Amino acid sequence: MFDGLREKLRSVREIFGTSIREASTPPAGDAPPAKGEPGLAERVKILVTDGELVLTERQIQAPLQELEMILLENDVALPVTDEILRRVQKELVGKHRGIGVSPESVIISALRGAIVQVLGEGFDLAGYVRDHKRPVKILFTGVNGTGKTTTVAKVGSYLKKLGFSVVIGSGDTYRAGALEQIATHADRLGIKVIQHKAGGDPSAVLFDAVEYAGAHKMDVVLADSAGRFHNRVNLMNQLEKMKRVMQPDLVVYVDEAVAGNDAVVRAEEFERLVGTDAVILTKADMDMRGGAAISIAHTVGKPIMFLGTGQGYDDLMPFSPDRVVDELLGGVG
Amino acid sequence: MLDKLSSSLKDALKKLAGKAVVDRAAVEELIRDLQRALIQADVNVRLVHALSQAVKARSLDEQPPKGMSVREHVLRIVYQELLRLMGSKAEVALGPQRILLAGLQGSGKTTTTAKLARYFQRKGLKVGVICADTFRPGAYDQLLTLCGKVNVPCYGEPGELVAEKIVERGLSSLASSEVVLIDTQGRHALEKDLIDEIIRLNEITRADHRWLVIDAALGQQARDQARRFHEAIEVDGVIVTKMDGTAKGGGALSAVSETQSGIVFIGSGETLDDLERFDPDSFISRLLGMGDLKSLVERAEEAITAEEMDVTGMLRGKFTLRDMYKQLEAVSRMGPLKQIMSMLPLGGADVPSEAIDVTSSKMARYRVIMDSMTAKELDDPNIISGSRIHRIATGAGSSPDEVRELLKYYRLMQRALKGMRGGKFNLQRLMKRFSGM
Repeated sequence: MFDGLREKLRSVREIFGTSIREASTPPAGDAPPAKGEPGLAERVKILVTDGELVLTERQIQAPLQELEMILLENDVALPVTDEILRRVQKELVGKHRGIGVSPESVIISALRGAIVQVLGEGFDLAGYVRDHKRPVKILFTGVNGTGKTTTVAKVGSYLKKLGFSVVIGSGDTYRAGALEQIATHADRLGIKVIQHKAGGDPSAVLFDAVEYAGAHKMDVVLADSAGRFHNRVNLMNQLEKMKRVMQPDLVVYVDEAVAGNDAVVRAEEFERLVGTDAVILTKADMDMRGGAAISIAHTVGKPIMFLGTGQGYDDLMPFSPDRVVDELLGGVG
Repeated sequence: MLDKLSSSLKDALKKLAGKAVVDRAAVEELIRDLQRALIQADVNVRLVHALSQAVKARSLDEQPPKGMSVREHVLRIVYQELLRLMGSKAEVALGPQRILLAGLQGSGKTTTTAKLARYFQRKGLKVGVICADTFRPGAYDQLLTLCGKVNVPCYGEPGELVAEKIVERGLSSLASSEVVLIDTQGRHALEKDLIDEIIRLNEITRADHRWLVIDAALGQQARDQARRFHEAIEVDGVIVTKMDGTAKGGGALSAVSETQSGIVFIGSGETLDDLERFDPDSFISRLLGMGDLKSLVERAEEAITAEEMDVTGMLRGKFTLRDMYKQLEAVSRMGPLKQIMSMLPLGGADVPSEAIDVTSSKMARYRVIMDSMTAKELDDPNIISGSRIHRIATGAGSSPDEVRELLKYYRLMQRALKGMRGGKFNLQRLMKRFSGM
């Protein structure tokens, strides 16, 4: 994941760098601009000639457009792209580049600032469970086919490995085969699962799961829910009821990393209608871009907890924004 | 936000109106807005670029045909270029065939398989389904349950880990079926083992069609994924699923362009009948966030005859319970009200969401209640007093509160419709504006 975006951001750094260097090249033709990386001597020369440099809007126009295309091609949603561009521009325009500061570092710090701001912070689930009253109740929400049920199994496995006791409430009583799916997962992982008949009231299932956890002094209740579209009022009402009945400590919104612009729309609606405390992005292994992560994190303003990176139970990676940014920008700065 | 976008697109179109010659600046502005709209709809950035180049060149170079205004001329070019993006028309033969379904995890293959089974069954063909998903727990149960609902035989072997074996045995077991649908495990292009598996499944089944199932929300990634699938099994059709959400389905266009095929079906709901043949016009309207008048009109014609509903009268504010009854009846035939509203270009009109968010079960209740009203009450709801409410409730087996709720809904609709006429919303003007497309 993020490989694609990283490659592209490298190239945009080049372009920004060139235009900044151009801006700082003295008009006299005695030193033709060198191709590629200018040598140390040349850089010093530029710095000596110019001392300080102020960038104008016009100078960074072209590279900004380039950056826009790169972000869009990598599935960063349009409004989020606009926001990042705005921040980078604000950071760069009118900027005084002091002596000894390379163009690269100016750009990197502007980009880093913009992306860190939109990515927000990660979420330490294990720490959260340790610090809170047991049982910690977690409700998983999201639209159809994002991988909620698989994610519930993975999170169950993750917590179990850390020594927490886990019970799963099978709140997807609608989709054919969902009960069998979660039961098989739970069986393989040795986790207790609370189920009712297909077509039953999901709120009742989740209530039972919470009761069971209380009675058996379990640490965590993971509540699966049926996938639903945010524009279905009755289904969203049902989800709201599930939330009211089980009183979750955390509502985790699950979406896929390959989603395009709609990721923003639905993340926003889920946040508005039932609230979201953290986000898990699945199918990160099939996406080399990572734009959806940036979009969703920015839109909901909630931390990303995990990335789902494959079909196995261990394919769940805690999300660390610093690492992502370092990875994207090559860890220089 | 999306509404803002489509309205800016409309503004850009407006600027072209009344111009005698094609204005370069106006065309450029239009193209910029078009680009934003398409990118927002997840159409591949490169496709968008190619399209906007073509639109620009043609708008500036081609002479508008006689009698066609500049705006109509540009709009026609935009429309034609968009239509080109939609790919070739994929035909669905109604005869014996084998269809292999492939796609990413969670794109809705299994549900789509069952929907297709239902589709071919309704066309009078004998259908059989094979579940070749050996990985996801519950996949077989899911398909079995769905097929059971429509009495289609479903072959699967839970416990068997080799998909090829299941398919071989399934094909002989379903030898008497005319149409055989093969549901496969979700996979993505980077999983080499699974790509190899689907290549083998394709060889074993000698499938007549290999359809790629794509989630409407899939973003720029659609292009790469589609290309790899195409390299593996030569995809000859695309099915877009989950079009009942808010996603625009632009990713499917990348897939179409990579596979040189066309969109076969659109999945737009959770029940087995929610599968539609692809219609480029409505797809374009959705991409651009503009109302889809053409398909709305067609649908409405199917569901109601002209004298059943007096649209102009309604817009003039003459809207009685009788009209609402007809409306509810028609709507239950046409699909959810929200879907219909989304097809109308109601950019400016402020329809309260409560008016739209009436669930289908409630609509059925409302109709029952209205059945207990007298003709006089239906024509003039204002005469419904407390005692009448009581009588109606008893007659319909409901509570007076429910009757009051219905009356409240009626007033809401009446107000909404009144708001539509004149001012911001002028149906005739809008009709005219869109007829250019």
